[in-house]
Amino acid sequence: MKWIPLVEGQMPMQMIAELAICILFFSTCNYLLKKAGVGVPKFWAGILVWCFVNLFYLKYRIYPPIPFSVRAIYGTVSACGIFMWVSGSQEEWLEFKRPIINVLDGNTAFTKVLRTALLLLLPIGLGAFAYNSLLPSFDEPIELRTVHPAPPATTKVHGKTYVLQTAQQPYRIDTEGKYDPAYSNAHIVDQSMGRLMKDVNSSEDNPWDPNAKGYIKHVREGGEIFFQNCHFCHGDNLNGRGLWAFAFNPIPANFTDAGTIAQLQETFVFWRVAKGGIGLPGEGFPWASVMPPWEQHLTVDEIWKVIMFEYWHTGYYPRTWD
Amino acid sequence: MSMEQTYIVNSGTTRETMNRLEMDSRWRLGAPASLLALGVLMVGVGLGSPAFAQEAEGFVTNTLPGPPPAEQVEAGKRVYFTKCVWCHGVNGSGDGPGADRLWPRPRNFNAGTFKIRHTASGELPLIDVDLLQTVTHGLPGSAMPSWEGILSEDQRRDVLAFVTTELVQERSWQDEEFEELHVLELDKLAAAAVPASAESIKRGSELVIENKCIECHGLEGRGDGNAFNLKDDWGFSIQPADWHKCWNFRGSRQDAYNVKNIFRTFSTGINGTPMPSFADNTTVEDRWHIANYVGSLCERDTDVDIAGGQVTDEIAATLASAKPRGIDPLTDKPKVNFVIPSKFAEGELPKDEHDPRWYDERWEKEGRRIVAIGGQITHKPRNFVTRIDDIWVQSLYNETHVTMMFRWDDRTKSIQEDEVDWDPYEVNLADYGIVEQEPGGSRFDDDGMHPDSIAAKQTSYQVFNDGLAFQMPIKFQELPPPRKPRYFWGDEGFPVDIAKWTADGNLLAYEGTGWDQDLEGRDDFTEQLKLEKAEWKDGRWTVIISRPLKADYEADTYIELGKYIPINFFVWDGHNGDVGRKMGVSAFYYLVLEPPIPSEAKWYAGLAAVGLVIVEGWILTRRSNRRKELGTK
Repeated sequence: MKWIPLVEGQMPMQMIAELAICILFFSTCNYLLKKAGVGVPKFWAGILVWCFVNLFYLKYRIYPPIPFSVRAIYGTVSACGIFMWVSGSQEEWLEFKRPIINVLDGNTAFTKVLRTALLLLLPIGLGAFAYNSLLPSFDEPIELRTVHPAPPATTKVHGKTYVLQTAQQPYRIDTEGKYDPAYSNAHIVDQSMGRLMKDVNSSEDNPWDPNAKGYIKHVREGGEIFFQNCHFCHGDNLNGRGLWAFAFNPIPANFTDAGTIAQLQETFVFWRVAKGGIGLPGEGFPWASVMPPWEQHLTVDEIWKVIMFEYWHTGYYPRTWD
Repeated sequence: MSMEQTYIVNSGTTRETMNRLEMDSRWRLGAPASLLALGVLMVGVGLGSPAFAQEAEGFVTNTLPGPPPAEQVEAGKRVYFTKCVWCHGVNGSGDGPGADRLWPRPRNFNAGTFKIRHTASGELPLIDVDLLQTVTHGLPGSAMPSWEGILSEDQRRDVLAFVTTELVQERSWQDEEFEELHVLELDKLAAAAVPASAESIKRGSELVIENKCIECHGLEGRGDGNAFNLKDDWGFSIQPADWHKCWNFRGSRQDAYNVKNIFRTFSTGINGTPMPSFADNTTVEDRWHIANYVGSLCERDTDVDIAGGQVTDEIAATLASAKPRGIDPLTDKPKVNFVIPSKFAEGELPKDEHDPRWYDERWEKEGRRIVAIGGQITHKPRNFVTRIDDIWVQSLYNETHVTMMFRWDDRTKSIQEDEVDWDPYEVNLADYGIVEQEPGGSRFDDDGMHPDSIAAKQTSYQVFNDGLAFQMPIKFQELPPPRKPRYFWGDEGFPVDIAKWTADGNLLAYEGTGWDQDLEGRDDFTEQLKLEKAEWKDGRWTVIISRPLKADYEADTYIELGKYIPINFFVWDGHNGDVGRKMGVSAFYYLVLEPPIPSEAKWYAGLAAVGLVIVEGWILTRRSNRRKELGTK
């Protein structure tokens, strides 16, 4: 069965929109049915909505799946919401309760059978549920890792100490060789679909133009390093879906996500790249990350260039101190 | 089968070769093959019936497409130089800066040779079907990702307009004189496909022997038949597909278990490789049988022993009834579960893979877990090619021992024959010449064979031992969760217990204290490790290792029931030149020895049920009292 694909980076908004559309659809159906004289009783409508949200949407639609404990919270919240909806007025509450009271009080053959069946089945069901939940179960433990831990004040790479507050990307230069972030930021890729370079025929926008100088030439050099070293995990589109991304845990960072390099200073990225997984503080799980300490593989210049490429290719600006 | 033979048996490729001869192409390797082929063709013409004049069953003739508008080519150039150039290179020769560390090597577009097509063997592909699907779904098992969701459909079509007009240089879709398109009517044929019944699977298993598929793909289809001598049109080493990993089929189109993709590849062949088209010598029905059989071998929820390809009715029925594995839409690979359960086994632990306790009904669905393997790319020498990309692990335990069964597909059995200068415990092998692949570089012109690329070197490594190792922390009980010793042989102060098996028959226990620290032998524990079985058969290793649960608390992992014990795995493929730190690694998994069901579970469940009965009684009494009240009013 094929679903509408979840759009990367937009999933929360898409989820809310989808749920809103579904609720709107239910309300419309409910209204139309009522108008047509075959209204669904509040009791069943409430159960239907609750089951749709919790047993279907949150369980099967969201990917990657959310843990049971989180779904339990949503389940409780949505149950509260439904109770508020059905108990808006005295009449509505009575209407909601009616099927329950009918089963408890009714004297027809049907309600008698149903009552007896429920009296037997409910305790059996509860017992089975209790038994199952008491069985030892061995789900994957949930371990919360800090993805962007606090950086140190300084970092020493290839014998030189860099102060993260003041260190500067040496290749963010215009065609004259002058440090110029405004210039480089004007020549990153477009943020629209595809994130493509602005003009393939301009030596200021196309890193592969033979006349490329300054910033954009260094972007190409950074890209070469990226595609010789980094794409195996971070992926050809820098979205963290490389060849081996699936084999590792924590999964590689997705640079196209607004929550990674887009909200970090360039010097923070420099520290993370140079020191790698093993250089993380404890909350970043240095023992599990396979991110190489790139100082073992690349020169300082190469690290700066590859970082600049990552910003160019994703169309983000590094966060600045001011 | 050599390349020359392929050209002779395959009429489609003959046509392709002739085009190339006529076109003064930069064709290098094909020269002897082309001459041979031309000879064959001339004989054919002499008899008045060139082989390609007839339409193979299931194909129709298509007209050639017109040239794309210039604006579209220009728009595609912008896409190409942003996204594709990094691997495929400025001239589309498959020699971008990333290419030298990639195997399979990125496609060289110049000759117009494309692997996955609906068109007959040797022909150009359909641009808006075949190439669009390749860009949309990617080519799994290679570095080519799916571009769906990253590039819009228009952008994907634009880049194809650029590639097919500017970078495919030796052939043209507008070349009426030499090009023809005979297209497999896949959707129509798939609508009347033979269902994958036990009979069809069994028939397919006979046909793959008759059609000599097994010569390359191996008796059980693990790609081990002629794993090391195959080359593509450019002279780069390639390997036959492993039928047990359909998610790695290049043409699987993010729909791995759909046999239609196998039917297509079998019908049209894979251009540029020794895989021919079988359209001329098999009927459509037989192709479905083969596709059904090949598809049924893809790993499912049970591990079916197919007895060296001698599929009986019983085996075919098991294959037909097994359920496909869940494929993770984020990775297009089987879903991974990081917990490896170990179940209690009565009596002695199993000695081989046939023991029924591996398969009994206590395992929910199945007991084996897939462990994804990536290249070791953290420290030098990095490993950029993982010929082994997953292993299967299953575990059982009794009162004193735990055993683990490892099974993984490896096309080659590798046992080191030459003497080496280092000792088995040494890990820093750079001084002995074990270095990583050079990055190559950026090229603005095509330099031919790329002899220094990883793709060219694939068959020239010194052969070392295949191997497998797993590490668990020593004194994990004292680690505050989630702290673990580093995945890479532990770290200072957090040592690990490593058990390493190598294909020369050694099973040794080491202590690891860091990625660059020589391993320390633990001879007393080595004596307690037991290699129950280590066998390579039809492209698959089966290695069963058992160890005591409770050894020395201070020096070995002291295994207790119900605890999550971090474990990770390392694997070496000797024919890939894997040795020392050049290897495949896994993420952290957890080994859990499942304790028996506690008796409290039953008591509490009963108590809860009785409690609810009491509550029900109370509610009913209240209701009936209330009814009486209302009645008396």
